[in-house]
Amino acid sequence: MIRLSTMMVLLLLGSAATANMADQAHRSKINGIDLITYRTNVKDVVIILGVLPAGDAMADPGNIAIPTLSGMMLDRGTKALDKFAITDKLDNVGAEITFTVGVQSLEIRAKCLRKDLPLIIETIAAELRTPALQVAEFNKAKQQFIGELEASAQNTGARAAEAFNRAVFPPGHPNHPHTLNDYIAAARAANIEEIRNFQAKYYGPAHMSLVVVGDVSDADTQSEMTKAFAGWSGGQDYVRAAKPASTTAASEVTVPLADKPSVSMLLGQGTGLRYSDPDSLALRVGTAILGRGFTGRLMSSVRDKEGLTYNIGATVADDSIVDGVWETSASFAPALLSKGVESTRREIAKWWNDGVTDQELAARKQGAIGSYFVGMSTTLGLAETILINTQRGFDPTWLDGFPKAVKALTREQVNAAIKAHLNPSTMVLVEAGSVAASAPKAP
Amino acid sequence: MCEIGINKSCLVWAGVAGLLAAAIQAAPLKGAAGQQTAPSAAPASAQSTPSAGFSHIKSLGGIDEYRLDSNGLTVLLVPDHSAPVVTFEVTYQVGSRNEVTGTTGATHILEHMMFKGSEAFNDPKGNSIKQLLERVGGQFNASTSFDRTNYFATIGRESLESYIAIEADRMRHLWLRESDRQAEMTVVRNEYERGKNDPENVLLEEVSAAAYVALPYHHPTIGWKSDIEHVPIGKLRDFYDTFYWPNNATVTVVGDIDTEPVLALIKKYYGVYPHSPAPIPAVYTEEPAQTGERRVVVKRPGELGTIIVAHKVPNGRDADQAPLEMLDAILSSGKNARLYRALVDQGLALSAGAGTDLHHDLSLHTLFAALTPGTTHDEVEKALLAEVNKIKTSGVTPAEVASVKQQYIAEDAYKRDGTAAIASEISEWIGVGDWTLYVTFPQKVQQVTPADVQRVAKQYFAADQSTTGWFVPVAPKTEKGS
Repeated sequence: MIRLSTMMVLLLLGSAATANMADQAHRSKINGIDLITYRTNVKDVVIILGVLPAGDAMADPGNIAIPTLSGMMLDRGTKALDKFAITDKLDNVGAEITFTVGVQSLEIRAKCLRKDLPLIIETIAAELRTPALQVAEFNKAKQQFIGELEASAQNTGARAAEAFNRAVFPPGHPNHPHTLNDYIAAARAANIEEIRNFQAKYYGPAHMSLVVVGDVSDADTQSEMTKAFAGWSGGQDYVRAAKPASTTAASEVTVPLADKPSVSMLLGQGTGLRYSDPDSLALRVGTAILGRGFTGRLMSSVRDKEGLTYNIGATVADDSIVDGVWETSASFAPALLSKGVESTRREIAKWWNDGVTDQELAARKQGAIGSYFVGMSTTLGLAETILINTQRGFDPTWLDGFPKAVKALTREQVNAAIKAHLNPSTMVLVEAGSVAASAPKAP
Repeated sequence: MCEIGINKSCLVWAGVAGLLAAAIQAAPLKGAAGQQTAPSAAPASAQSTPSAGFSHIKSLGGIDEYRLDSNGLTVLLVPDHSAPVVTFEVTYQVGSRNEVTGTTGATHILEHMMFKGSEAFNDPKGNSIKQLLERVGGQFNASTSFDRTNYFATIGRESLESYIAIEADRMRHLWLRESDRQAEMTVVRNEYERGKNDPENVLLEEVSAAAYVALPYHHPTIGWKSDIEHVPIGKLRDFYDTFYWPNNATVTVVGDIDTEPVLALIKKYYGVYPHSPAPIPAVYTEEPAQTGERRVVVKRPGELGTIIVAHKVPNGRDADQAPLEMLDAILSSGKNARLYRALVDQGLALSAGAGTDLHHDLSLHTLFAALTPGTTHDEVEKALLAEVNKIKTSGVTPAEVASVKQQYIAEDAYKRDGTAAIASEISEWIGVGDWTLYVTFPQKVQQVTPADVQRVAKQYFAADQSTTGWFVPVAPKTEKGS
């Protein structure tokens, strides 16, 4: 567990006192890598999270599968050790390292005991810098990737998200995904030379961030990082789209999938906002009043009163680096789908037209600050918060700045942000599932 | 985050990204254990004289157990002052194993109804559980499994009394109204429908239904659809009045607490209730011996096949669970695991694993593989069983056993990072029937030998005791769409 500062406790109690979390975060540049260490009172545990701009958005139009396949090759052996030898080393100390590829980033997640941090840093560095890139392993990675893509073909949530983001964001925008079939075809055509070229171009320290939180020593961590990454160079910045999404007309997309008793629905539009933009926080808090938790308006009405869905919510997402999206998501039985969509639209329209109340805003602000600190009461929660703040362009002072900014929001700001950046009459609706299925029998 | 499956259903799936990055860490029932913690005869953190009205039962591994003398409520306290947060969890020893035909899913529906308000705390008064917990930024939920139902929240310590008051009130003063049941029935039905979207979930349901003939693990925790739709409010009331009593509940409090004040709060709010008027009914059904291999096939639209091979193994408290856990780790933990090397690395499966869903009564062990494109069920099933047969005939190596033990030692440190994860795992062991296994199970794993692993493989994985399920994808019928 993490020792939260006295100031954090005061904030939990609603005090206006100045917090000092940022004082405990130590930021340094290690051979170009943005390193943040944060010592907590947890015993033995260390969490390492990192990002490196090498996500799907960096794909060459010639082959869109290369970023993901490049990431998949990282835990398949280095020039010095094969994948089984690396796994042996990690298993024998109970440590884990995983790499995943998202829209913008190659993401690194690791955990270990304090004594094993040097091994973990050394292994991450070796996997990033000197991957074996053997053809046999590459063919296995391709098969794995293609299989996973094919397996997702019948997933209503994944299919709805793909259709929604393709409709909301224009081609060329980092948040505009390619189709599932395009990814499968690209994976089949990929070759190992493309992986080498991609890694040479994008894998480097220049825009990489690493967060190390827990039972750590700042000096020791910096020393290990310096040793492990000495002489590494290169790296590219994130793709920062010049032209934001702009939905000017409503549209509806149906993704038919057979034999799905529950339809996944998404309704929303691009916001044109990045997280760091001035209206962003106001829109987030306003959106939480509509669609977060059981007291959000959508759950209170569409689930609790009308019984139309198991889960419904609204969120602002995918805006850490480029302009993001505002969406409501829900699941409905095919027979209740049209009524569910109608109720969702009704609540959105009411929220957009009338705005939020002072009482709602006060409760939501208090809840947001409370959950912020509860969420950071674990090492992982704290590390995730620090890392995403870094990706969003904030320095560690935002750890203390966030609750203050939430507290300072006014109803006028929130309602103005909702009106300025959303328009219910031009939203995109996506329904994925057996939308033509017949109604279930009434009980 | 609660997982939706046949063995666990939740008030809500926490899949909607929130305002802030914060999530409750779910603790796996097995495989999350850690290094040895010496049992202590004396209370680890309790006062020598506990609060009046409580009996100190035992202390083990930093956990103090008390009993509220007046009504039999069990209390587990796990003080940890490193953060000003507390997880409070109440676990009722009632799950879908307590259901019969016509009431399948009733335990889970009742879990949902527990959020509809109680006499003193409800939406009209503006002080309902969701209103309190979301106002203070608490992380909360509830879940139902085969053997237990739990309700939990992680909150700032200053909010603890308010939450205890609500949790205690709904133990005996719940609103159970037909109008609420009607609205909630369709909510739960959609939860059921979401589960049916996933062919692998459906396959596991069918395998369980075939593996268990008499025990109520035969039916999924969420229930059969017709029962969800038709169970009368009176039956839910019967369930509530039978099982929601202090002597059938365990309160677990983890985090920034001091023993005396927290016991005083628990007594203040739970001490008002008597012991249940009748004994809590026991499940006396026993599973008849299986007399041959069983097979099920699920055919639905899909892309890739799946195989599950299940065997019934002893209850979750049995001494053989530790070697079974070791066996599962050797088969499926990481890239050096035998199933990874034999199936995934050879291109036969996208993923493969082994694990046990621990139950209060007979547990269910499963071997699992998701087929790669182009492979057949036959060849993958043979490869899956071949790995188990190798262990039966040749055993496992001391190095494999030693590696798993090291992983457990590290896991012990990881799992103490977060009050919610600790409370969640303790709750699972309460459902199995003995919370002390939270402390002692990792010790038992450290004692396992290669010979133990080979013995349990031989003992429990006979072909004529297996239930094998195949999900066979079929081409979808043409659907209308734009």
